[in-house]
Amino acid sequence: MKTQKTILVVEDEKILRDAVVDILRLKNFLPLEARNGNEGVEVALKKHPDLILLDLIMPAMNGVAALKKIREDAWGKKVPIIILTNMSATKEESVDDMATNKSTQYLIKSDWKLHDIVKKIEEILEGQDIL
Amino acid sequence: MNKRLPASASNDIILSLKVLAREKEVVRRKLAVTAAKLAVTAKKLAATAKEKESVRRKLAVTAREKESVRRKLVIVAKKLKNSYETLEQKVLRRTKDLEMSRAKEEAILLSIGDGLLVTDEKGNITIINKRAEKLLGVESKDVVGKVFSDAMLLVDEKGKPIPPEKHPARIALMGNATTVTGPVYYDMRKDKTKFPMAIMATPVLLDGKVIGTIKIFRDITDEREIDKAKTEFVSLASHQLRTPLSAVNWYAEMLLAGDAGELNEKQKKYLDEVYRSNQRMVELVNALLDVSSLELGTFVSEPKSTDICKLAQDVIDEQKPQIAAKKLSFSFLCKKRTVRMCVDPKQLRMVMQNILSNAVKYTPEGGKIVLSISFADKKSILLKISDTGYGIPKHQQDKIFTKLFRADNVRDKDTDGTGLGLYIVKSIVENSGGKVWFKSLGEGENKGTVFYVTLPLDGVKKSIKNK
Repeated sequence: MKTQKTILVVEDEKILRDAVVDILRLKNFLPLEARNGNEGVEVALKKHPDLILLDLIMPAMNGVAALKKIREDAWGKKVPIIILTNMSATKEESVDDMATNKSTQYLIKSDWKLHDIVKKIEEILEGQDIL
Repeated sequence: MNKRLPASASNDIILSLKVLAREKEVVRRKLAVTAAKLAVTAKKLAATAKEKESVRRKLAVTAREKESVRRKLVIVAKKLKNSYETLEQKVLRRTKDLEMSRAKEEAILLSIGDGLLVTDEKGNITIINKRAEKLLGVESKDVVGKVFSDAMLLVDEKGKPIPPEKHPARIALMGNATTVTGPVYYDMRKDKTKFPMAIMATPVLLDGKVIGTIKIFRDITDEREIDKAKTEFVSLASHQLRTPLSAVNWYAEMLLAGDAGELNEKQKKYLDEVYRSNQRMVELVNALLDVSSLELGTFVSEPKSTDICKLAQDVIDEQKPQIAAKKLSFSFLCKKRTVRMCVDPKQLRMVMQNILSNAVKYTPEGGKIVLSISFADKKSILLKISDTGYGIPKHQQDKIFTKLFRADNVRDKDTDGTGLGLYIVKSIVENSGGKVWFKSLGEGENKGTVFYVTLPLDGVKKSIKNK
């Protein structure tokens, strides 16, 4: 039997965080929650989740800063991170940041179904297992 | 005579008288000769006198003439003096006028609200205006005559100096450009502060020869702030608008999927309506955000070498469920297996998506859609998307690319749409230096439409900030 994968959900909007956490549980993942970038970095470095879903616009450290922080860590360098945001990637700087800090995916929440996000997570984790 | 005189005495007297008479004769003769001579002399004198008289007369005439000439000369001299004075006045006036107009021109140049720097053909500064002095933190007396780079030290965003050959003024001096507008440069002042500037350098041409340059520049700190605010607005608005939409989407999706238990048919149907309406809202928000990005000029264009046919195939694949649902016949023709060109794939995808989804949406069941990609000419490619759909009513054809416009015939047919798709298409295509147009097939409606898009092969113009 496969071990349960832990997924860290960094999202400041409770209503959205709850939805993601619910579907992850339903799909047999072990969700961890963080309400902002600070918490996100803290939980990530402490619990070493298998994958991180990261929002961008959040109070107390935004997603881009959190992404940089996590990538600075030896373990954090390799963890797959999916940017799950509603912010259009029109800001040149943040797009550059995404590229230099190697986010695995950039998904717009309102364009993605929860089930498709889960599929994406599964794909990425499977790809990692093969490696 | 005395009768008592002896005879001898009378003889003596007679002799003496005779002698006297002879002498008298001699004298008379001499006198006669003298008289004749005198007469000749008199004649000569008379002739001389005549000549003299004639000369005198002539002299008199000459004197009169001289007088007349003198008088004339006096008049001419007077006139000359007058005209000299007028001329002098005129010259003075003209000089004054010229000085005034020169001063005016100089004042105009010096008072231009933007920084102005004029150089000669060697790049040495000849004029610097007040604004330029202020912007660059220099004084005219310190920089006039010096090479422009002394007064203006251009650096990039990170403070790295711009090499001289890339300096807009240098490019302008080469004379091979009419106007050189550089990207954003920063000027490093002596006090090490810098400001972003928009700079325009133009060669000054005289008889086809470059005799210098004019540089106009301004501080664009404010514009950049506004730009930043615009970008932030779009990002934040997108974030704020999409968050509640995402929540509705996700919860409806989970309910519909039975993640929270099975729903009955009616509940499913109602919830499906909620979900689909929300999807429309998402589409509308996305389109509105694209439009505001385009209009605010924050739409970031990132051209890169892109396989157009593959991109088209991806767009088609996305539409496949709808194509299948409406039983449309669909064909895709790409002239070469791969056509690579330098475009922003995201933007081109939007163009294709919008035109193709329109074709699918507005073609009734069983219709036909053809997408082809070929070369319009050596310099551009041509995208052609034809359908056998409802068509565009003739009287509304001129409005079809207008923002939020939807034609009457499709509004009647209960199809959903934002009225933004073709507006976005036109904006993107025209920003890329391409063209979009369409042709109605046959007379009247319901015969179909062909949309054409051309895009230049040499890549798109870099994104249009601050239109």
